[in-house]
Amino acid sequence: MSPDANKLSPYRVPKRWEGSRVPGWDDPVDLTKEPAPIPDPATTTVPAELRAEIEALITKYPDSRSASIPALKAAQKHHGWLPPEAIEQVACVMRLTPAYLIAVASFYDMLDLHSGSYTRSRVYVCTNITCSLRGGRELLKSLEGELGDLADIELRGFECLGACDIAPMASVDGVYVGPIEGDDVATLATQIRQGDEPLPDKQLLKRRSADPGANSAEVAS
Amino acid sequence: MSTYLIFKDIDEPGLHKLETYRARGGYKNLEKVLAMPPEALVNDLKESGLRGRGGAGFSMGMKASFIPQGQMDKYLVCNADESEPGTFKDRELMQKSPHMLIEGMIMAAHAAGANRSFIFIRGEYEQQADILDAAIAEAYEAGLLGNNIAGTNFSLEMVVHRGAGAYICGEETGLLDALEGKRGNPRLKPPFPANQGLYQGPTLINNVETLATIPHIVEMGAQEYAKLGVEKSSGTKLISISGNVKRPGNYEIELGISSREIIYGLAGGPPDGETVKLWFPGGSSSPVLTEADLDLPYDFTSLADAGSMLGSGAIIVVDSSNSVVDVCLWLAEFYRHESCGKCTPCREGTNWTVKMLERIQNGLATPMDLDIMASIQEQIIGNCLCVLGDAMAMPVGSMIAKFRPEFEAHIEQARAQNPYAGEDDAPELAVLQGAVV
Amino acid sequence: MPRPEVKTISFTIDGREVQAPENMMLVDAAKLGDVEIPVFCYEPKLGAPVGACRMCLVEIEGIPKLQTGCSTPVKDGMVVNTQNERVQQAQEAIVEFLLINHPLDCPVCDKGGECPLQDISFGWGNGRSRFVEPKRHFEKPLALSPLIAIDRERCILCYRCVRFSQEVSEDYQLIFTERGAHTFVGTFDGHPYVAPFSGNIIELCPVGALTSQAYRFRARPWDIEQSGSVCTLCPGQCNVSYTVRDERVQRVLARQNDGVDDGWLCDKGRFAYQSIHVDERITKPMVRDGDELRETTWERALEEATNIFKRSKGSIGALAGRDSTNEDGYMIAALMRDALDSNNMDARARDASTMAETAARLDPALQASVTDIEYAHTVLLLGVEPVDEAPIIDLRIRKGVRRNRVNLIVATARPSSLDANAKLVARFAPGEEAHFVNSLIGGDSEVLAALKDGGEDVVIVYGERLLADPQGTAALLALADELGLRDRDGAGLLGIPAFTNTRGLTEVSFHPFHGDGLNTAQMRDAGLDALWLHGVDPLTELPDGAAWDKALGAAAVVAHARFLTDGVRAHAKVVFPLEAGAEKEGTVTHFDGRLQRVRSSIKHPDEVKPGWWVFSEIGKRLGHEFGVFASPMVSAEIFGRLPYYEGITLDTIGGTGVRWTEREQAASWPKGEVQAPQATTAMPAANGKLRLGTYRSVWAAPEVNASPALRFLTPDTKVELSPVDAERLKLVHGQRALVNGTEAKVVLRDAVPEGSAFIESNAVSDGLAEVKPA
Ligand SMILES: Cc1cc2nc3c(=O)[nH]c(=O)nc-3n(C[C@H](O)[C@H](O)[C@H](O)COP(=O)(O)O)c2cc1C
Ligand code: SF4
Ligand code: FES
Repeated sequence: MSPDANKLSPYRVPKRWEGSRVPGWDDPVDLTKEPAPIPDPATTTVPAELRAEIEALITKYPDSRSASIPALKAAQKHHGWLPPEAIEQVACVMRLTPAYLIAVASFYDMLDLHSGSYTRSRVYVCTNITCSLRGGRELLKSLEGELGDLADIELRGFECLGACDIAPMASVDGVYVGPIEGDDVATLATQIRQGDEPLPDKQLLKRRSADPGANSAEVAS
Repeated sequence: MSTYLIFKDIDEPGLHKLETYRARGGYKNLEKVLAMPPEALVNDLKESGLRGRGGAGFSMGMKASFIPQGQMDKYLVCNADESEPGTFKDRELMQKSPHMLIEGMIMAAHAAGANRSFIFIRGEYEQQADILDAAIAEAYEAGLLGNNIAGTNFSLEMVVHRGAGAYICGEETGLLDALEGKRGNPRLKPPFPANQGLYQGPTLINNVETLATIPHIVEMGAQEYAKLGVEKSSGTKLISISGNVKRPGNYEIELGISSREIIYGLAGGPPDGETVKLWFPGGSSSPVLTEADLDLPYDFTSLADAGSMLGSGAIIVVDSSNSVVDVCLWLAEFYRHESCGKCTPCREGTNWTVKMLERIQNGLATPMDLDIMASIQEQIIGNCLCVLGDAMAMPVGSMIAKFRPEFEAHIEQARAQNPYAGEDDAPELAVLQGAVV
Repeated sequence: MPRPEVKTISFTIDGREVQAPENMMLVDAAKLGDVEIPVFCYEPKLGAPVGACRMCLVEIEGIPKLQTGCSTPVKDGMVVNTQNERVQQAQEAIVEFLLINHPLDCPVCDKGGECPLQDISFGWGNGRSRFVEPKRHFEKPLALSPLIAIDRERCILCYRCVRFSQEVSEDYQLIFTERGAHTFVGTFDGHPYVAPFSGNIIELCPVGALTSQAYRFRARPWDIEQSGSVCTLCPGQCNVSYTVRDERVQRVLARQNDGVDDGWLCDKGRFAYQSIHVDERITKPMVRDGDELRETTWERALEEATNIFKRSKGSIGALAGRDSTNEDGYMIAALMRDALDSNNMDARARDASTMAETAARLDPALQASVTDIEYAHTVLLLGVEPVDEAPIIDLRIRKGVRRNRVNLIVATARPSSLDANAKLVARFAPGEEAHFVNSLIGGDSEVLAALKDGGEDVVIVYGERLLADPQGTAALLALADELGLRDRDGAGLLGIPAFTNTRGLTEVSFHPFHGDGLNTAQMRDAGLDALWLHGVDPLTELPDGAAWDKALGAAAVVAHARFLTDGVRAHAKVVFPLEAGAEKEGTVTHFDGRLQRVRSSIKHPDEVKPGWWVFSEIGKRLGHEFGVFASPMVSAEIFGRLPYYEGITLDTIGGTGVRWTEREQAASWPKGEVQAPQATTAMPAANGKLRLGTYRSVWAAPEVNASPALRFLTPDTKVELSPVDAERLKLVHGQRALVNGTEAKVVLRDAVPEGSAFIESNAVSDGLAEVKPA
C-alpha cells in the first residue's frame, strides 16, 4: 500500500476502472455466433459413459430436470471442469438449453465453469468464522504458498464446510482433514502434490465423538 | 446425568451397517409404526413436543398435520444441507448412524402419506453421502425401502440428492428448487411446501436430527419424551460447539441446561487466560450474546426471550483475543457470498454492509457510519423474501448494539493508521474493494 | 379447461372501502380504489409473481410481517395499509437499496422520462442516499444481440427479462448467472440472444438496462407521440403502438389486446418499422423501360396500367398479399368483376378450396377464438408452424400448455418447435396433411383417442397446407363434426392463412369462386395476359417460385409494391408505390373473425398514395366511378353491403376490434355445402429420393431484408435432413447440397423423420426430391 499519486480515490472511480471480477460481466456476446437452443443430437457428440451416467441419473427422479446438478457434477468429473462442450453435452442428453445449465451451474460453488483447465484436485480451506478464529485464513495463505505453482489444483477458501470441530480444516477432494496445525501444513501440501491420501491420522471420519457422556457402556472403543 | 438418545451408541464400530444398527435395537418398532394409522403417529409427534432442529424450531407434529389428506403424490424431504456456520451435528449423525435417519424418514413418510423421499445433502459432504447411499442400498436389500416395506402395504422410495455448494439450499424452498434442478432461489410463501412443495405436491421437509429423533420418540413413547427437557423445549438436542473452546464438537444435551454448563462444562471454555467475549447461541444467524448471558438456560424460550435464538443448536464462542470488527466482517462476507440475489434488501444490503465494514477496516470510516450500518440492518429485517437477509442483519445489528465502543475505537485506530484518510487519494486496496461489485 | 368464475368482495385500503374481484392481486385491486402500490418485478403477463424486488410491501392487518402486494390475493374484509410510516420506511429502504449500485446516468439514458425506476424513486423514495462507497462501473453498453444492448450497471435484477425467455417464449436462452450481488443477465458462452420474440424484453425492462439497438438515442419521451394501430406483417395482426417523431416511426411497442396478442410482439413486428424509412423503398410510380424500371409520374403510370388492363380484359388475374386491407380488396374485386370481366382473384397461397368449402370452414358456428387456445382441453396443431406463420400464436399455445395444462397434439410433417410441449406428436410425409386427417375419422388411432379423451373443448389450429388437397376441407369438417365442435363455445377451428388479411379479403369477396374464377395455382398455370399484384411477389412469397417466374414473364405485370423484390424487378411493367403499414388507413380481419382498424400514424412519403385513391383513379380510367374520397367511405360501404357486418362501424371496431363472428348478424354468413371426404392415399414411396416439404421462416419477408437491424436474420437457403438420410447420401452438417438443382446448406436434425427433407425456399416445389452434394 505505497502512496501513489496515480491511484484514484474510491470516491472518484473512473468509468471502466477495472471492471468486474465476475467472469462474463464485462463481456458482450459474440455476434458471429448462432443462438444456442437445445443441442440437436444429430450434431452433438456425447461421450458414451457420460451419456449413460446422465441417463441413469435421470431415472432417479420423477422429473428429469432434477438430475441437472448431479449430471453437471458427472460432466465435471469427466472433463475436469465444465467447459462449454461439457455443458452442451449435458444439455443434449437432458434436452435443456445450455443456458439453463449455466444458470444452474454458476449458482453453486462446487461447479466450475471458469477455471479453464483440467483440475486434478480440489482443495477447499474453510475460512468461515469458526475456522478463522482458529487460524483458517492463515492456513489458506500457507497452502497457497506451498501449492501456488500447481495449475491443475484448485485451492480456494470456502464457506463453512460443516466441520468446525476440527478447525482449521480443509477438504481434499471431499476428504475432510483437521485440525491442520504446525507441520501438518507442509505434510498435507506434499500429499496433495503427490496425490497421496491426505493426513490419514487427521481425517474426520476416524474421529470419535467429543461428548464424553455419549456411548453407553457396551460400546466397544 | 443427561439422557442420551441419538448419541447413545454413536461410536459403536459398524453402526453405519444395518446389522449393527439392528443389533442396537434399530428398526425394532418400524412394523408397529407402519401398522398405526398415520394420524395417530402425527398425534404422537405433536404430543412429544418435538420442535424442528433445523433452525426455525417449528413443531414437527404440527407441520406433518398440515399435509393434506387424499390421493396425490406427496413427498418427504430431509434437509441435510447443514451449511449454517458452526453447525456440524447432522454430519456426525449421518456418517455414524445413517440408519437412524432412514428409519426416522420411513416413519415420517408414513405420517405424511409420502411415497417418495429425498435426502438433500450438501455437496461438500461427499463421504457422508456415500455412507448414506450404501445404507439406503442395504435398506432396500432388506425390504425396508421400496415396495411393501416390512410386508405392509406402505411403499417408499428414497434418493440421496447431493447439492453443489450453496447455503441458501438449506432454506426449505430454495432446497426444493435445487432439488427440482434449478437455481436454489427461495420461493415466495405462501404457498407453503406442505401444500405445494416439490413438483407442486404436498411436501414435508425436516432436518436430519428432527427426523432421526422420531424412532426414539416411538421407542420411549411420546409422553416420556415430552418429559425430557423443559416446557416448550422437550427432548434432547445435539449441540455443535466450536470456536474458542478447548473441546469443540457435538454434544447431546437435554434442553434447558445452562449455557455455561455447555460452554465451560462440556466444551472446556475458552483457552486459559481468555474470557468469553461473545457467543452465537444458535449458529451464525443468531444475534450474539455476551458473557453476561452465560447463565441462560439453553432452550428455545429462554434464548428467544434474551433476544436471540436456539436456531440449529450451534454455539460459536469468540474469546476476548478477537476483534469484534473482524468477526462482523467475516460474518457479513459469508452472507454476501451466500445471498441468492433474488430479493433486493438481502442482495444489496449484505453487499453494502460488507463494503462498509471494509471501509472501517481500511480506516476510511467515521462513527457515523455505524449508525448507517445499524439502520441498513433494520432496513433488511423483515423485508426479505426469505430470512437469509435477516440472518445477517440480526447478528450484525446485535454486534453493533452490544459492542459499539469497540467499533468506535477500531474506527479511530484504523483512521489513525491510514495516512490517506480524509484525503482524496486513498489506498489501492480500498479502490479495488470498492470498485468490485 | 373452463374459464374461472370470479366473485366480487370488498376490502379496505388506506381507510377506503373498495370492491374488487376476489383473489385479484392486491396491487391490481388497489388500483380499483385509486391507490398505487409501486412494483418492479410484478408483471402478470409473465405468470405467477416472484416477489423478488420487494417494492410492493404493504401492511395487512392481522399479519405481523409486511406482505408483498403483488403476490397477495385480496380477500373479503382484508384491511390494507400502504401509506403508514412502517410501509413508507420499507418502501424508502427498497428504493435506497435499488439505487446504491444504479448509475445516475439518467441524462444519457434512453429510458429517462419513461422509467419506472425514476418514477418510483421520485414517488416513494426519500430522495437521499447514504451510500458513499463507489458504485460499480463496468463496460457498457454491451451487445446482447444485434437488436438489443445491455447495460449491466443499470440492471436491478427484477427477473422480468429472464422470466420472459424462460416462461413466455420458453426459449430459455436468457438467464441469470452467478449468485447474489454478482448475479447478472447473460447467455450461454457468449451466444447472442436471438429468438423470434427477443425484443419484448426491451419493453419489459423497468430500467434502462435493455435497450433497442435500433432506438437508442433516437428520441426522448418528450419528443415523441404514440399512435395505435395493428401490425400488418403477418396474420397474427398484433396490436401495436408506433412511436413517432417528426413523421418517422422510431419504435414499435406492443399495445396489449388479450384477444389477439396478450401484449407481446415478435421481432419482425417490433423492428421491421425500419423498412418504412429506407432508401430502397419505392416511393414513386415506375414503368418499365427495356430492362429497367424508371420512375415516372402518376399520370403516366396510371395510363400504362389501365392500358394493360383494358388490353387484357377477361384474361387478367389479381393477387393480393400481406399489405392489402379489406378496403383494398373490396375495390380491386369491384374493378375486376365490374370493369375487367374477371373473377380471377385470390389472396391465398396454397388453399384451393371452393367458395362453398371456404364458407363452410369459416362458419361462425365452428369459429374458435385466439383466447380459446388458452382454455381448451386440447389443441390440435395441424400442418402449421405458428412461430413461422403467425408467431404470436406460438406464445398463446405455450401459455395454454404451461398455465392451464392444455393437451397439445402436434400433427405436422416438419418437426415443430412446439413438439417439446406436446402430449402427442404425429408425423407424416410432407403433403399428406389431408390424408392424415382423413384417416383419423371414424378410426381408433391414438391421436383421435387423445382428441376425444382430453375433454370436449378442442381447438384445431390448421394452415393452408391442409387445404391444398382437394379433400382437405372436407376432411377437416368431418373431423370437427366427429369431435362435436360445431356450436360449442370454447372449441372450434382456427385457420392460419398465408397472408395477413386473407380472411378479410375472402369476406369482402376477393375470392375466385365468388364467381368462376381461377385460384392462385390456376392463375399461375393459365397463361393469363396480365397479372395485377397487390403487395405480393409470387416469385418469392408463393410456392413454386420457378413456375411463377415463367408465368410472370409471360404476362404483363402491374404491381403495387414497397420493394423491388425479384419478381417485381424482373417482370413488372408498372409499379405503384405501396403504403407501409404505419401509413395505411383501413380495416383488416383477423383469422379468428376479429375486425381490426389499421390507422395511419405517419404521413406518406413523397408520392406514395393511399390505396383508395389509386383504385379510384384506375376506376375512373376504366369507366368505373367509386365516388369515394377517403378510406372510411370505403369501409362504410363494405359494412353497409355485407349483411354479416351489418351495424359495424369504424367506431365500434375502435382500438381493440370486433369479432363479427360472435354477433347476431353472423347468422347471415353464407352456408356452405360440403360432401363427406373421399378416400385419400398416402404419398408414394420415395424410392431413394426424399419427400420434400418447403417452409418459410418468420424472417423470410422483404421488410426483414430491408430493415438494417433485422437484415442479419434473412434466412439462408437450408435443407433439413435426418442423420440417417444424410449418412446414406454422404452429406455432413453444414455442407452445401443440391436439392433438385437448388443449392442449400445441409442442416442435420434428429427430429426429421427418415425419408423426409425440408427446404427453406420457395424455389423448389414440394414433392420428391433428389439431394446430393453440391
Ligand atoms: C438461509 C437458511 C438456511 C437454512 N439452512 C438449513 C440447513 O442447513 N439445515 C436445516 O435443517 N435447516 C435449514 N434451514 C431451515 C429450513 O428452512 C427449515 O426450516 C428446516 O429445514 C425445517 O426442518 P425442521 O422443522 O426439522 O427444523 C435454513 C433456513 C434458512 C432461512
Ligand atoms: S433474503 Fe437473500 S437469500 Fe433470501 S431470497 Fe432474498 S436474496 Fe435470496
Ligand atoms: S412487485 Fe412485488 S416483490 Fe416485486
